Amino acid sequence: MPKLCSDQRSRRIFLADTSMGLTGLALGAMLPRKALAAETDSAAANLLPDGNPHFAPKAKRVIWLFMLGGVSHVESFDPKPALNKHAGQQLSETPHKDVLSSPFVKENLKAFVPGQHHTRLKLYPMQTGFRERGKNGVAVSDWFPHIGGQMHEVSLIRSTWTTDNDHGAILQFHTGHHIFDGSLPTLGSWAHYGLGSMNENLPSYVVLGQPPGDCCGGVGTHGSGYLGPEHAGVHLAVDPNNPLPFSSPGPGVYREEQQKEFEFLNRLNRISGVEYPSDAALKARIKSYELAFRMQMAAPEAIQFKDESEETKRLYGMDQESSKPFAEVCLAARRLSERGVRFVQVYHGGAGNAWDSHKDLKKNHGSLAEQVDKPVAGLLQDLKQRGLLDETIVVWATEFGRSPGAEQSNGRDHHPFGFSVWMAGGGIKSGVVHGATDEIGFHAIENRHYVTDIHATVLHQLGINPRQLDVPGRKRIEVDYGKPIKEIIA
Amino acid sequence: MPLRFLTLVLLAQWAWAQSASPAPDLYRDHIQPLFQKSCLPCHNAGSKQGGLDLSTREAMLRGSIHGPVVSIGKPDESQIYKMVAHVTEPAMPFKGKKLPDADIARIADWIKGGAEFGEPAVDPEGINLAEVSKHWAFRVPVRPAVPVSKIAGGNPIDAFLESARAKHGLAAAPQAKRETLLRRVFVDLTGLPPTPAEVAAFSTSKDPKAYEKIVDDLLARQSYGERWGRHWLDIWRYSDWYGYRKTSQVRYSQRHIWRWRDWTVESLQQNKPYDRMIQEMIAGDELAPNDPSVARATGYLARNWYMFNRNVWLGDIVEYTSAGFLGLTLKCARCHAHKYDPIPQADYYRFRAFFEPHDVRTDRVPGQADILVDGLPRVYDADASRPTYRFIRGNESNPDTATPLQPAVPRLFGKPDLRIEPVPLPVGTYFPDSRKFVPGDLIAQAKANIEKADAELKKAKEKPEPEPLILAAAKRAEAARADLPVLEARIQADLASLQTPVPENSEKLAEDARTLELAANKIRAEASIIAAQYEFELSKKDPKKLGAATAKLEAAVKSLKEPAEGYTPIGPKYPTSSTGRRLALARWITAKDNPLTARVAINDMWMRHFGKPLVSTVFNFGRSGKAPSHPELLDWLAVEFMDRNWDMKAMHRLMVTSRAYQLSSSVGPEEAAQSKLDPDNTYLWRMNMRRLEAEAVRDSMLAVAGKLDTTSGGPEIDETKGHEVFRRSIYFQTSPDLQMDMLQAFDVASPNECFARSESIVPQQALALANGPLSFTVARTVAGFLSPSAAAAPDFVRAAFLQVLNRPPTTAEIAESATYLKEQADLYRDPAKLTAFTTGSAAALKPAEDPQQRARESLIHVLLNHNDFVTLR
Repeated sequence: MPKLCSDQRSRRIFLADTSMGLTGLALGAMLPRKALAAETDSAAANLLPDGNPHFAPKAKRVIWLFMLGGVSHVESFDPKPALNKHAGQQLSETPHKDVLSSPFVKENLKAFVPGQHHTRLKLYPMQTGFRERGKNGVAVSDWFPHIGGQMHEVSLIRSTWTTDNDHGAILQFHTGHHIFDGSLPTLGSWAHYGLGSMNENLPSYVVLGQPPGDCCGGVGTHGSGYLGPEHAGVHLAVDPNNPLPFSSPGPGVYREEQQKEFEFLNRLNRISGVEYPSDAALKARIKSYELAFRMQMAAPEAIQFKDESEETKRLYGMDQESSKPFAEVCLAARRLSERGVRFVQVYHGGAGNAWDSHKDLKKNHGSLAEQVDKPVAGLLQDLKQRGLLDETIVVWATEFGRSPGAEQSNGRDHHPFGFSVWMAGGGIKSGVVHGATDEIGFHAIENRHYVTDIHATVLHQLGINPRQLDVPGRKRIEVDYGKPIKEIIA
Repeated sequence: MPLRFLTLVLLAQWAWAQSASPAPDLYRDHIQPLFQKSCLPCHNAGSKQGGLDLSTREAMLRGSIHGPVVSIGKPDESQIYKMVAHVTEPAMPFKGKKLPDADIARIADWIKGGAEFGEPAVDPEGINLAEVSKHWAFRVPVRPAVPVSKIAGGNPIDAFLESARAKHGLAAAPQAKRETLLRRVFVDLTGLPPTPAEVAAFSTSKDPKAYEKIVDDLLARQSYGERWGRHWLDIWRYSDWYGYRKTSQVRYSQRHIWRWRDWTVESLQQNKPYDRMIQEMIAGDELAPNDPSVARATGYLARNWYMFNRNVWLGDIVEYTSAGFLGLTLKCARCHAHKYDPIPQADYYRFRAFFEPHDVRTDRVPGQADILVDGLPRVYDADASRPTYRFIRGNESNPDTATPLQPAVPRLFGKPDLRIEPVPLPVGTYFPDSRKFVPGDLIAQAKANIEKADAELKKAKEKPEPEPLILAAAKRAEAARADLPVLEARIQADLASLQTPVPENSEKLAEDARTLELAANKIRAEASIIAAQYEFELSKKDPKKLGAATAKLEAAVKSLKEPAEGYTPIGPKYPTSSTGRRLALARWITAKDNPLTARVAINDMWMRHFGKPLVSTVFNFGRSGKAPSHPELLDWLAVEFMDRNWDMKAMHRLMVTSRAYQLSSSVGPEEAAQSKLDPDNTYLWRMNMRRLEAEAVRDSMLAVAGKLDTTSGGPEIDETKGHEVFRRSIYFQTSPDLQMDMLQAFDVASPNECFARSESIVPQQALALANGPLSFTVARTVAGFLSPSAAAAPDFVRAAFLQVLNRPPTTAEIAESATYLKEQADLYRDPAKLTAFTTGSAAALKPAEDPQQRARESLIHVLLNHNDFVTLR
């Protein structure tokens, strides 16, 4: 093979050619990062990630479960008896009135539409019971008995906060920036940018479930901003017949015919290679067809469940009408993860932000919890029994909590000041409760964490120092990187 | 380093300084640079943090809001010293790293010595203007002499490049093959490949001017406007509206923004000068207040409209106007002084002030009264008195209201006289519905409403609906009928009010309109009451609905009682003049002494012709950007561009007729040495290879099949129809949430920001071309029309390569292809042995039954997937 030029593109392809194989470059990471951004600094070429972690990683992959609309923290993982005690009272009549004058109110809030979401002043009692769950006895609501039963496996963070009080917080949870700042790289795209793929036959950053609507980040929620489109999440439908755009040529085309076409194409492209021996792009294209051919096989295989036992399916709740759809998504997430997909981002709640319970919270949360409780708990157990949990970080999150005060007669409003997120596996401590909100669940008051601390923790476990991924000309500040939550890292 | 040695070095340097430079000056050599770096970003005349301004001695001696900061001669009693020495709180620089001890000691010495400021090198806002002229891009370009070159030929581009190559021991590669060159220039200028006939004509032409003639021909085509229109719209951030589609709520951009897209395409086709294009986009409404076709251009601004936050909206305008036209990263000065360029924070807001009065509206267009269906989105100055404030640390909830800012260009460009003069507007612009066509359209609309109401009544009777609902429908039809005379009266009254002098009967006309309108409203209210009453009665059985029904009923009754004041005019009235701010800005941007505009545009064009820009940081020509690889060539082209009256086609012609453009891109063994010498091809000793942009891939496929629908312009087409509607890709919907799947696979521009396209190579592209319905349709179509005249395999192969790849096949390719045709036909002969795909969506056009024909289709399908199809060699 003739010596390749030393520009960035060739260097990339060279690496790909010399089989960086499973640790390095494949699929999305075949060609250079947006070179223009990088060229603002002469040292940029050296800063391009080489696909290796920056230090020894504890985890290899991530399953990111995101509930759209805002799950009530006080009726899930942060129950508050004080709400029942003061039910129906005005906040000002209770000993907890100080929450309104807390400096956190100003610090936390960058209202989407100023004045649209008022502070709900009449305290609303919990709409379900709770008890101590899991082997370590953590208070979890009765809507989440199965996830509750796994509390000894997770680190529960009860002190997350964000700044947007509307559903732009969905985008914010993934980029670390308010929606007013636009679509920036998401956590998954950073992982993809930094680490590349472990499976050449599948995209490395996969999105499952229905993404949020364009109101709230839309595709930007798994986008890649200035890192370039090749680092964006690839949406897969949990449908073996048509998992991704153009995954099959359609009825009437023969498999044998297609295989011959690919072989012939390969021969023709190689003839061109004689005339253009140093055409790096040609080499990359030949390789991309090989990958596409394999991906076309691998993607449907990854999301069908023929070879899953009935026992496994039951574990996820696939035998129940209410939990079946999300059970399939969670099982597909495990299968993708198992096959080396670096980052699986799973949405629940869809474009309508299902969890957004401004009214009828009891009915709404009750039925949604039934949809996700068993599948999520099943995923944790399944990963564990397969020995995958050690190297897989599972994150469960939502864009904000819900207000301690009532909205209308039976709902709760958005609540960015304090809410719960949990993480498990991948070197995260098990059975830890970290941080706390005040007695009525208004503010995160202990070990407060902005959403980028969750990002930092995930990247840290993956062995990534986000500062080493900086793109010259794209300044980031401390809050953008966040800080790994060391109290929950084993 | 041993101390002794260090001392020697320092002594030597000191001695050198003594002999070679002016006397040391503590302020100039140390204090000023230190202030510049560590103090002035916050303590300057524009943003006086804590009330302290350190830009002049007088200002410094005025002290801060806490009192004096310097006690001359006594550093230990001077706040400045104590703060930087961290003796007292707050420690300075604020939240920053402590200064080196040597610097702190110098500050002490300086205060001891009288705290004198030297020559004022710094303007009052902390900008070192002496620094400005040191940066190449901030100096007005001067036409450099064209190097003399014997081998370069007549094109100055080649003279510059040849001289650069010669300096580096490089020689230009040979000319590209004729068919390679033809495809290159076709796709480059029009986004479409040549036809086999065009390839044949060019390959055999003896005319020495054949290439130049083709370039002229291509530049005159409609497809040039579509191709280059898309390029510029990348930079200018074209986006169709998006927001909350469920309720069709526009949150970003505007409905009908495609009119600006069409303006762009047309302007390029007409070769409108670039300076004029910029002026029309920023201030078309002020430049030609009476011309709606020019107002279309202001879609450039209207695209930034954002429902929820005006600071985001204006912020995008500031950011992308400065970056797109000027290569200036003004956004970096939103929260604080620019870290690299001499731009104080206030400059950001002064730039914003040009746009402060403006707002967005939709005017009616002839033939459609409903602006939701069609209309012209455009800008206008809504409020001349809106103040512009600097946001302290960029925080919009903390505006510096003590110091309103006036529109001005960044200080680094001096203080040009912008001559901001208000522009009086004609009546058809400030009261757009007074234009002749509007009344007719409104009356047609009213008549259509009558027909619609009658039809509904008829339907209600036929069904039949319950009696009250029929009655309500009848009332609604009556109201619709009553609306027509009301409308006519409102039109009369409005037109009368515009006449000078106002006619005597104008008050009466207004009164008549009011009376009629009240009467019609009464009928409509009665209809609502009847329907609401009925609903209310029904809801008594269903308590859940009672509340809503009651509210409806109450509202209907209330509307009956509400007395209208005057009458409703037929459309909105806007201010009768525009501030002229935007026009002044546009004229400054396009002035010949603006150092940036022409250079930035030339760089944008160059990148798209040659595959690589001259300044690699295309949106940043500031000090943190990259220096040009060919500074003289860039300046020569920039001056030439302006001297040719910003004629874009002339510049395209100059670039694509250069010899450099026509070089081969191939790097064979002969070029290996050069490749080592200049691996990045900085000196353009060969052409750069490129991948086709997303639109060019799709449009070329359609063109190859003869399927391209060349209809131009019009409303955006549903992006999901890309495989069945064969219009050019530029005409399909594109917004951050909705883009065509196939275009997405090939790095289509992000509508939020795209100064340069990515050229990724990912398997999703292979899937799109190998499995997408479009490539099957194209393959089957092409095989269908090539077969009749090319029955023998080699003939078909030759025809296929020419049709799809615009070049003849090599001998090896013919041999491979002929074998393939035979083997593939054999394969199809026994379908029982084959496994068909069962999933995915089949192309509209079915494969041929005949195995031989199907093999030909398969060959074409493979050629569409060939690397050469998506590559410009």
